[in-house]
Amino acid sequence: MNDLEERLRRAPRPEDAEERLRRALRPVDAPEGFTERLMSALQAREPRAVVAVVPTAARPTPRRFWMPAAMAASLLAAVLLGQYNAQLRDEARVARENAAGLAASRELMQALRVTSQKLDIAYQAVTKPPVTGAEENRS
Amino acid sequence: MNARIALCFTALLLAAPAFAEQPRGLLRLPEFPALAEKASESVVVTLDSNLLGIASRFLDASDPEQASAKKLVSSLTGIYVRSYTFDTDFAYPKADVESVRRQLSAPGWSRMVEAHSKKENTDVDVFMLVDNGKAMGLAIIASEPREFTIVNIVGSIDLEQLHEIEGKFGVPELEIESAPKKEEKKSVKKN
Repeated sequence: MNDLEERLRRAPRPEDAEERLRRALRPVDAPEGFTERLMSALQAREPRAVVAVVPTAARPTPRRFWMPAAMAASLLAAVLLGQYNAQLRDEARVARENAAGLAASRELMQALRVTSQKLDIAYQAVTKPPVTGAEENRS
Repeated sequence: MNARIALCFTALLLAAPAFAEQPRGLLRLPEFPALAEKASESVVVTLDSNLLGIASRFLDASDPEQASAKKLVSSLTGIYVRSYTFDTDFAYPKADVESVRRQLSAPGWSRMVEAHSKKENTDVDVFMLVDNGKAMGLAIIASEPREFTIVNIVGSIDLEQLHEIEGKFGVPELEIESAPKKEEKKSVKKN
């Protein structure tokens, strides 16, 4: 136990070490002409840095690829949409023409029926034997 | 003076196509607004050559009635019908009817049938426009107490075809030959 205490007493204390370090690192003024000498020495020894521009390989940017692709897709979509619209218009036009044609054919048959009815009346009036009292006047 | 003559000449030249475009046999049928207003039922058919062509394409050839109609209208350039039915006896405006009758007094038109029934108070007049022995137009004016009808068929009417569809539309036997002459028309007329 005494041995341990003795060792602890002899061991350097942290306070002492810190004090010594502070003393060693205290600010000291540079000697006269140190700065000038240092700068002249650096200028004499320091090699000039050479900056070389190394051309890097052109990286394929996604923009260059997607731009034409997007334009082509837009063009294709526009063409398809146009074709679809034209087809719709054609179908509508054919439907309209069919409806008009059917209506016209119905009108035609109706007109022919009316015509034949009236011709029937004329025919009956012409061919019927005259009624007594000259009720019918046919010419 | 010369300017006036030139103006008249120009006007005549400009008006000439308008007269030329109207086919022979086509009557100017009035709209009969008074009749249309009071009619309980009206049939107004206006089929010019274009519409007749379209209508003809839509006729069903498998149906005998429509097949006959298709054949008949192939040489026609117009069918116009104005028919009005009334719920009660109605006095037609004579002026409109007379305007049509006046057109039928033009050269070429002749009355084929004039039927009048006092009992039924019915009048039916059938007119035909004959040009070079060919029927180019047909007009019917039929007036009954509750019905008034005017029919105008324009075009080269093939009387043989009219004969063929006899009975199919109720068209009577008119004893018409294919090339009617004056004597033949007399056979239709009964005095």
